[in-house]
Amino acid sequence: MVSVVGYYTTQFGELWSKSLFSLINEAIKGALTNANLDKKQIDAIFFGNMMAGVLEDNLHSPAKIAEMLGINIPIFRVESACASGGVAFHLAKNYLEAQSAKTVLVAGAEKMNDYSPEETTAALVTAASGEEQEAGLTFPGLYAMMAQVYLNSYKYSEKELAYVSYKNHYHGSLNEKAHFRKKITVEEVLKSAYVAYPLKVLDCSPISDGASAVILTSDSNLIKKAKAKVDVLASEVATDTISLKGRQKLDAILSTKIAADKAFTKAKITREDISIAEVHDCFSIAELLAMEDLGFWPKGQAGKRIKELSTMYGSGGRLIVNTSGGLKASGHPVGATGVKQIGEIFLQLTNQANSRQVKKAKYGLTHNIGGSGGTAAVSIFTN
Amino acid sequence: MIGVVSYGFYIPKYRIKIGDIAKIWGKNPDDIINSLKITEKAVSGIDEDSLTMAFESSQMAFSDTKIRKNEIGVVFVGSETHPYVVNPTSTILAEFLEIEKHYLAFDTQFACKAATGAAIAAAGLIKSGFTDYALVCAADKSTGSPHDALEYTAASGSVSLILGKKDLVLEIVDYTSFSSDTPDFWRREGIRYPSHGGRFTGKPSYFYHVEQASKELFKKTNLRSEQFSHAVFHMPNGKFPIQVAQSLGFDNKQMVTSLVVSYLGNSYSASALMGLVSTLEIAKEGELIFFVSYGSGAGSDAFVFKVTANLAKRRRQFTQAVAQKKYIDYPTYLKFMKTI
Amino acid sequence: MEPRQFPFLQTKMISPIKVWRRQKEIRKLLGQRGKVLTWTQIYVAGPNFKQYAPYPVVLVKLDDGQKVFGQLVDYENKDLKINAKVVSVLRKVRETDHDDVIAYGIKFKPL
Repeated sequence: MVSVVGYYTTQFGELWSKSLFSLINEAIKGALTNANLDKKQIDAIFFGNMMAGVLEDNLHSPAKIAEMLGINIPIFRVESACASGGVAFHLAKNYLEAQSAKTVLVAGAEKMNDYSPEETTAALVTAASGEEQEAGLTFPGLYAMMAQVYLNSYKYSEKELAYVSYKNHYHGSLNEKAHFRKKITVEEVLKSAYVAYPLKVLDCSPISDGASAVILTSDSNLIKKAKAKVDVLASEVATDTISLKGRQKLDAILSTKIAADKAFTKAKITREDISIAEVHDCFSIAELLAMEDLGFWPKGQAGKRIKELSTMYGSGGRLIVNTSGGLKASGHPVGATGVKQIGEIFLQLTNQANSRQVKKAKYGLTHNIGGSGGTAAVSIFTN
Repeated sequence: MIGVVSYGFYIPKYRIKIGDIAKIWGKNPDDIINSLKITEKAVSGIDEDSLTMAFESSQMAFSDTKIRKNEIGVVFVGSETHPYVVNPTSTILAEFLEIEKHYLAFDTQFACKAATGAAIAAAGLIKSGFTDYALVCAADKSTGSPHDALEYTAASGSVSLILGKKDLVLEIVDYTSFSSDTPDFWRREGIRYPSHGGRFTGKPSYFYHVEQASKELFKKTNLRSEQFSHAVFHMPNGKFPIQVAQSLGFDNKQMVTSLVVSYLGNSYSASALMGLVSTLEIAKEGELIFFVSYGSGAGSDAFVFKVTANLAKRRRQFTQAVAQKKYIDYPTYLKFMKTI
Repeated sequence: MEPRQFPFLQTKMISPIKVWRRQKEIRKLLGQRGKVLTWTQIYVAGPNFKQYAPYPVVLVKLDDGQKVFGQLVDYENKDLKINAKVVSVLRKVRETDHDDVIAYGIKFKPL
């Protein structure tokens, strides 16, 4: 059994005085402290990051991390656009199951605010196909195209999308590490300026800096001694076409469905068993599609169900989604997100989630997407 | 007999009213409109250039012909606004048209007569047996410096001619060319907007060359102005072509269909050819057309065309294409012309 | 013209070889009809496209079954809808700087 025994996240937001590597350093040291471990006890590191190469000509991060920590262990950089963190975790878990090591650290980090929003938009769109880039699409544009099909097919409007942002901002107000702590109203979402029709500023996750790290181990002694621990029941990754036009459907992410089906089979539980989930709400539409693709809500129903707010903390609902604030309010430092999601489930399942603690949660799920659905990483945890 | 087998044209969708430009610069719109005899001009979009427009007009020229692309042995593009100073528009155009690859290509520049000069060269290449068919395109996204007189007339457009020796819609009966070194309008390398000699562009430039080329062609063909059903002259504005026509003995009835400048502006290398396209919409079998281009620098190419029986079946719908238009304001115009 | 203000973009000219390879694909897609599967209007664009913003982008299913992305040009707002009929045209798709090779590509016009 592989278990998560420690977690630390930096603040997410506009962290002007922190560089990429100062964030990575803080996250790694923080996770070690949290797990009460020394760096000598770490056998390998998996590091998720998307844009350091493109934005700051910064590659070969394994050697940079080795230098920073004064270590010589194997270190692997993983890139799958916004799924980099989730995929890094998947590889780390498999590395342990292959008995290549006993204890590994998974970190994810991104530094986005050293650059203008246009540079960052241009760097992000490298996760789309060449043709999509040539057509002048952006990520808001790609998800906007998906939203158009969804809203048109099921006769919803922009209002249904706004409830996602409303809920997640409420959650963000409960998470001291979130980028946005301010609550917003549905009206404010609807009044915000268009970024890519029909998605508006408040439908889109922000540009954030941040780093998160978790420690995984298969060492039964460490697991026994751990102050807090969560078992990994499943971690599955699936891929699909890079280009939106190649997908089977324009308003469903198949890679999510494949990864989720495999994860639930592996974990031997059902959707109804999950009481907390961190899903990939890079844009409001993405959370609606995720709830359907993961199998929590029937296809076409998410627009209706989100307005019931049963997935909002305090509603008494059976499944609470994105208590961290999601990508929307917690922020989306791309490489860090997948790891932060796992950390949030770890906090929830170990009763460390403070004012946003969901009671009696037994099973949690994380869902991390790369690009417009080219990669999906789904993991299931239990306490 | 060499002539035009097929032709095509492209006019961009957008128009700007001359009066709207005049108002920005504090001029009385009626003064400008009356002195230039132009009410609006065609403007191409921000993502259009001479190449994209040449492609559109060429596509139309090929649209209902059975000419195989590999029969095109000559591709000439005449423009004053080629996308590159070094790198031929003609090969980019040929590539997109799938004309491969045993063809002669070059670009020409001679202000507004870049394409008609190339047409004379192409006719010679057909006559000598080098090729059966030649594609000659005129395309311009003409610019004028803001607040300059050219701003009222410089427009966008393209015309393509496929020349050959059979199945013609228009016979080239004869032609002549008249050239001199006359600095009435020029643009140095690296400089964005052309400069011009003001009133010097009139009598010693436009009128002198058009008249001399015309008189030479009358002599050569032994024809008189009354024998022509239609006359087409290069149109830098709405006044010059009417004046030169009168001085050569043509009346307004012969001119009226060709005067596209008043609602399309001056598309430079495509200007006179666009007047020809307008004329071909109504020209009848057997009619003679007198056609004279003018290029600053300076020179004129004069042609006598004869309409064949084939034109009636293959003429292009010009009037309805021109009607597909959308007005834009001055800031949008500056955005499309990449001035701002 | 877009000024060269971003360090990482300064070294990134459009590769003329990539443009050359791409143009062989583009010419097969010219002058084809299709219908709009989905669309959006981009308001916030990256630096290469800023000069065109706002602009609509469509995903079109051509009559021959192929799917193609492209901007919609020469349109009225009423043309921005799913199932609208369009035709592919040749336009400049990228022109970042005076020194770059011009990339021509596919855009769509309403029919």
